[in-house]
Amino acid sequence: MSEPHRVKVVAAPPALAIETSGLTKRYRRVTALSECSMVVPEGRICALIGPNGAGKTTLLRMLAGLAAPTAGTASVLGGTPRQDPAFLADIGFLAQEMPLYRRMSAADHIKIGAHLNSRWDGESARARLLGLDIPLGRAVGTLSGGQRAQVALALTLAKKPRVLLLDEPVAALDPLARRHFLGTLTSAVAETDGALTVVLSSHLIADIERVCDYLILLTRSQVQLAGDIEDLLAEHKVLIGPKKDTGALAATHTVVHTTTTARQSTLLVRVGGPLIDPAYEAADISLEELVLGYMGASAAPAYAGLTTVAEG
Amino acid sequence: MSWLVWRQYRAQGAIALALLAGFGAVLIVTGAQMASQWHSGLASCAASGTCAKLAQTLSLGSPLGRDFVLLSNLVPALLGFLWGAPLVAGEVEAGTRAYAWTQGISRTRWLLVKAGWLLLAAAAWGGAVTALTTWWYGPRNALYASAFQPNTFDTQGIVTVGYSVFALALGVAAGALTRRTLPAIAITIGGFIGMRLLISEVVRQHYLTAVTAFYNPLQAFAPPGPAWTLQQGVMDKYGQVFTGGNGPEVNGVPFSALPANCQKFIMIDPGTMTKTSLHAAVTCMQASGFRGFVTYQPASRWWAFQGIETGIFLALAAALIAAALVVVRRRDA
Amino acid sequence: MIGFRVDGRSGVPPYLQIVQQVRQALRMGVLGVGDQLPTVREVVAAVAVNPNTVLKAYRDLEREGLVEARAGQGTFVLARPAGPPPGTHSRLGRSLARWVHEARSAGLDDESIESLLRVTLQAGGSTGFLGEGIA
Repeated sequence: MSEPHRVKVVAAPPALAIETSGLTKRYRRVTALSECSMVVPEGRICALIGPNGAGKTTLLRMLAGLAAPTAGTASVLGGTPRQDPAFLADIGFLAQEMPLYRRMSAADHIKIGAHLNSRWDGESARARLLGLDIPLGRAVGTLSGGQRAQVALALTLAKKPRVLLLDEPVAALDPLARRHFLGTLTSAVAETDGALTVVLSSHLIADIERVCDYLILLTRSQVQLAGDIEDLLAEHKVLIGPKKDTGALAATHTVVHTTTTARQSTLLVRVGGPLIDPAYEAADISLEELVLGYMGASAAPAYAGLTTVAEG
Repeated sequence: MSWLVWRQYRAQGAIALALLAGFGAVLIVTGAQMASQWHSGLASCAASGTCAKLAQTLSLGSPLGRDFVLLSNLVPALLGFLWGAPLVAGEVEAGTRAYAWTQGISRTRWLLVKAGWLLLAAAAWGGAVTALTTWWYGPRNALYASAFQPNTFDTQGIVTVGYSVFALALGVAAGALTRRTLPAIAITIGGFIGMRLLISEVVRQHYLTAVTAFYNPLQAFAPPGPAWTLQQGVMDKYGQVFTGGNGPEVNGVPFSALPANCQKFIMIDPGTMTKTSLHAAVTCMQASGFRGFVTYQPASRWWAFQGIETGIFLALAAALIAAALVVVRRRDA
Repeated sequence: MIGFRVDGRSGVPPYLQIVQQVRQALRMGVLGVGDQLPTVREVVAAVAVNPNTVLKAYRDLEREGLVEARAGQGTFVLARPAGPPPGTHSRLGRSLARWVHEARSAGLDDESIESLLRVTLQAGGSTGFLGEGIA
């Protein structure tokens, strides 16, 4: 188990749903996203994690063609995000506030969608909402937050997108509504048999652990970590051992984060080879530890000397 | 897309129609009263042979009707801030732009269709209002020959259509630029009133070169028909214009500007001029090259002016919509 | 048909939780040979997990020879997991109960017993000295 997943069946590399290179967004004084380079393979449910203000919304909005990058490029399904029906037809975007026309009903929205989209499956949206006992005829402004989120999601799915971008979709929902929302989402992904790629930003590690299989970690407007969650978990270990110089260790492995007490050091390392130092006890890492480790590494500049973060 | 516009604006459309109906009811009632006044006035003056002085004896129209017609000046601005300003700004404020602009249509089409239908509706609404006011004005135009005067010119004919379209476009552009409805409303109202004043007070009189007529200062003169008189006064032989001022004057020419040989007729006491001395002075002025003049836009140009003014506001509207389009396309959502 | 539970905070990867729950159901007789496992869509809709997770779990079970995917029909149980013959569990359970009683008499509380068990499993579980039944 201490061996990283090095040996893999050689297969054709999976098609990329999303690819960004040096993607940067600056507002007047603030850099919202800096030199973001990452990929999301097709068919994944990718978690976009990061503290507030890390640039998650900015990244999603640029991928959806709502905002233009200051520098760098983004490619979604092989095309540059833009205000073009051909591009927009493949994109589903759900903003955090789940914007809908409050005075209109879900049925109205389904009808609007049919007028605004060349590819539209209003029937599935209607069936999905009826299955959830959501009144189709009531103004969406009078629905509960969870119901509204379901309406917004059903409308987004009715577009039959190939890439679904969800900005904090469950942040405002109670646990039950959250579960139902994620159930709708995962069902939709299952129905498409790998043709739908999802990027969803969230703070809730437990949800991510159950729903997502890919991870992008943004902190301070930069990508800290990106990859298949299982691979990432296999590549990282927690080492607990005496407080000592980590120079030898850092030669083979990447020390992401170190916490030290008077006698003991706890290291989060990205494994670069066999772990042979008997002074350390190696343990598998949970997703939460991994995420917190990388967030902590970037949050505390005092550790800068130790935190040589590997490319994602 | 058109269906979305209909769904989004049908409530406002109903309100607009209701307002139009109320407005129409008042105008039709007062207009009908005025028309019957006018016809009976014509009949009685024909009987007594006093039709030439009808304008002095007959008073047409109730204050309510006139207030309502003046109100129609504000109608376009109303459209501008009720429909125009929230068109983009409202979607930004409600966050629905993230929904609307990620559907399978481009922002260009979204704005063009939405603004297009509303502009058409504004034109139709303005057209209906102006049809009512133009009909209402019929007897007054005949009686007072005032159709070319500022205010009456602005509330009849086809200019209201241009104003309505312009106000709506201004609201759309202001909303696209500020992205907030309230500031957009303020800009719309301010911009609309400002542009209307600029055009009617400064620009309108220059649409076509004004006609100047000269006449004997001993006689009164008025341009024929409902012309728009821009300036009237007396001119000396060097072309200097006198239109009256402070202090003693003769037909608008200050005493001090009179030639010495004419001053003598009234030199004795400039304060107490008699009819005879005045006549003598004016005759002397005429002999010295003083002429009465009037600069005006002839009544025959009324429709040309209506067309030019409407064209200007339509062109401004087109420019504003183009600007809104650029802003909506270029700026991040 | 069985239902699954996936605990996002357990630290056990979700796919492994599904694998374990199928094995457990087979061991306890809740699932028998020929029974159908819920489809990926059913699982996903019920517990809101990534479809790939369910697929991966089913593939693992298939590799173990416990289930078989039949094209267009679903996934069916092929065999019970290899292991001790029936009755082994209850026999060992009885002897463990006796040991627990002994440990409690010796003054160990539950936490100490659990920790002792864990240490023993970690230290010697793979060498098999604790007994074939559990390894």
